Amino acid sequence: MPSVAISVLKMQNPLDSALTASELCGKTLRSECLSLLRELQNADGGWPFHAGEQSRVEPTCWALRALFASEPHADDRVFRKAAGFLQTSQLADGSWPATSQMITGSWVTSLACSVLSRDALSAANVKAGLKWICEDFPRDSSPLRRFVQSLRPKSDTVSQNDSYRGWGWTPRTASWVEPTAFALMALQEAEPQQLPKNAAERRNLAVSLLYDRMCPGGGWNCGNPRVYGVDGDALVLATCWALFALRDAPEKPGRTLSLAWLQKEFSNIESAGSLAVARMTLENYGIEPPTANRILQDWTAETFSELGTHVLAWACMALDPARRWPVISNFSTKNREGAA
Amino acid sequence: MSQRNRELIPSFSRPASRVMIRKVARYEEDLFALIYESLREFQLPVKDKTVLLKPNLVGLDPQGVMNTHPAVIAATRESFLKLGAARVLIGDGPAMDRDTQAILESVRLKEFTGKLGKDFCDLNIDDVERVQLETRATRLKELFLPKTVLGVDFLVSMPKLKTHHWAGVTLSLKNMFGVVPGSCYGWPKNVLHWAGIDRSILDICAAARPDFAIVDGILGMEGNGPIQGTQKAAGVLLLGNDPVAVDATACRVMGLLPERVEYLSRAGTMLGHVEASKIQQLGEGIDIVKTQFAVLPEFGRLVA
Repeated sequence: MPSVAISVLKMQNPLDSALTASELCGKTLRSECLSLLRELQNADGGWPFHAGEQSRVEPTCWALRALFASEPHADDRVFRKAAGFLQTSQLADGSWPATSQMITGSWVTSLACSVLSRDALSAANVKAGLKWICEDFPRDSSPLRRFVQSLRPKSDTVSQNDSYRGWGWTPRTASWVEPTAFALMALQEAEPQQLPKNAAERRNLAVSLLYDRMCPGGGWNCGNPRVYGVDGDALVLATCWALFALRDAPEKPGRTLSLAWLQKEFSNIESAGSLAVARMTLENYGIEPPTANRILQDWTAETFSELGTHVLAWACMALDPARRWPVISNFSTKNREGAA
Repeated sequence: MSQRNRELIPSFSRPASRVMIRKVARYEEDLFALIYESLREFQLPVKDKTVLLKPNLVGLDPQGVMNTHPAVIAATRESFLKLGAARVLIGDGPAMDRDTQAILESVRLKEFTGKLGKDFCDLNIDDVERVQLETRATRLKELFLPKTVLGVDFLVSMPKLKTHHWAGVTLSLKNMFGVVPGSCYGWPKNVLHWAGIDRSILDICAAARPDFAIVDGILGMEGNGPIQGTQKAAGVLLLGNDPVAVDATACRVMGLLPERVEYLSRAGTMLGHVEASKIQQLGEGIDIVKTQFAVLPEFGRLVA
């Protein structure tokens, strides 16, 4: 990103004199990302994955997260318009669909509940969403299915404990790591009075499922730690979401192992989205991200946007030193590159 | 919506399909010359049209074991451009990892194609359109599919030659799972597994209708594919104007019986030809390039 670095140095504000060139780069990049994010909002209040496309729940949630990661939002016009889009997108059963033409809810319900959880005017929407989440049980771990499975001969096709239950990407399917992590985060962020009665039980089962589905060497993939006797490889994004979800869960060796895996993997990350989310994850656990092959300043706001609004939003959040979600735990900020 | 013909024609009233087998030992060979010359034989209606290449980009693959090799993708793109296509897009929606950029970086696609910009489409997050499933092979009545897939003039499925631990083989028809958007159905697209993989393949292919198939069999995968199998050098590229016939031929090259691959057998009744007598073989003969692929014990019945 030499062009940005040069232009930043030319425009240096005296107030920024204590910042390094790299930090200034990060500050400028974040500012450009935020501007672009605001430009991408559609007239209906939602955000598309790419400019000019239809508004979708997922990019809308990530855009709101990024725009209001460190600012109050209650009376903001942009927020209210977006909240309006989310409220009108909600289905009668309390869930949110992945796209407006769909008539069944999906995993994005968790994102919507999370992002609206502090908005008093959306309290009823969040409560209905959380109720749907807690009533949505995956089909693979139903008692009947487990009974049928128990009658079959043991095989090494997969190795997992089916008594644990998380959430699927879509209703009536199987538990997977990422939707389970997002649902856990939605339950954690909700006001206690909004939670259904079985929320605590669902959380316990889901935390157990995440630990059960961890890859043998630490980290997570979509949820297949071992198939046909072969260990699965962990993936960065799935590992990060699982670690966010387990932030307040009881400490287990698996979590420490997974953090170590992520720390080691961090230096090899080549994609903007994984780099941003991994950085937030490590900072959330109070770990300074190690030096990596790539830094977020290798990309521009436009290239983040080409990768999708969600990537643009993740980059904004990763570059926000004052973000409240996911919060940054204390650690030495001496060498943090890109922080403004 | 493009004007591509999605009408289902019973196989008995279809003309014979054409499948070409080319021997290629290494990715370093002049793939452009080979693919361009091969495509010319088919006289494809692509002049001034938009073509979408749908490779199999299933996961992080720095060793080039599981994904369609970028050299094959780049050479195919160049070939269609030389044949007069107005635009040649590349698109996929990886099934297990939503970080498509990480996968592209791991296979070094840009080094082979140059910067693609908006000519690469992450089908997982493309705008979608509802498609009613007329085949009703599954209980799914509809699927939401990427507008890019539905809107192009010519769709090319470009799988790698692999065995599959649930479907037996994964070739140009199974490769079309990648057009189903993860943003709607998740990573993996688990609703398709619950609907039945074999049946889902039929519904997806009948809805998206790939026009042509090019199989990267230079290095394939045997055993516990599509991710954790063993690399298998087969030294072939297969090209054809009927993805069903291409897959059937690919099975024969792998020493497997296509009639015993459930989805392929059913596809042979409505989407294309499985019977060898209905496939005009071009290029090398099957017996010349045949290489026995190992399968998991559950699929022992597929071995010829």
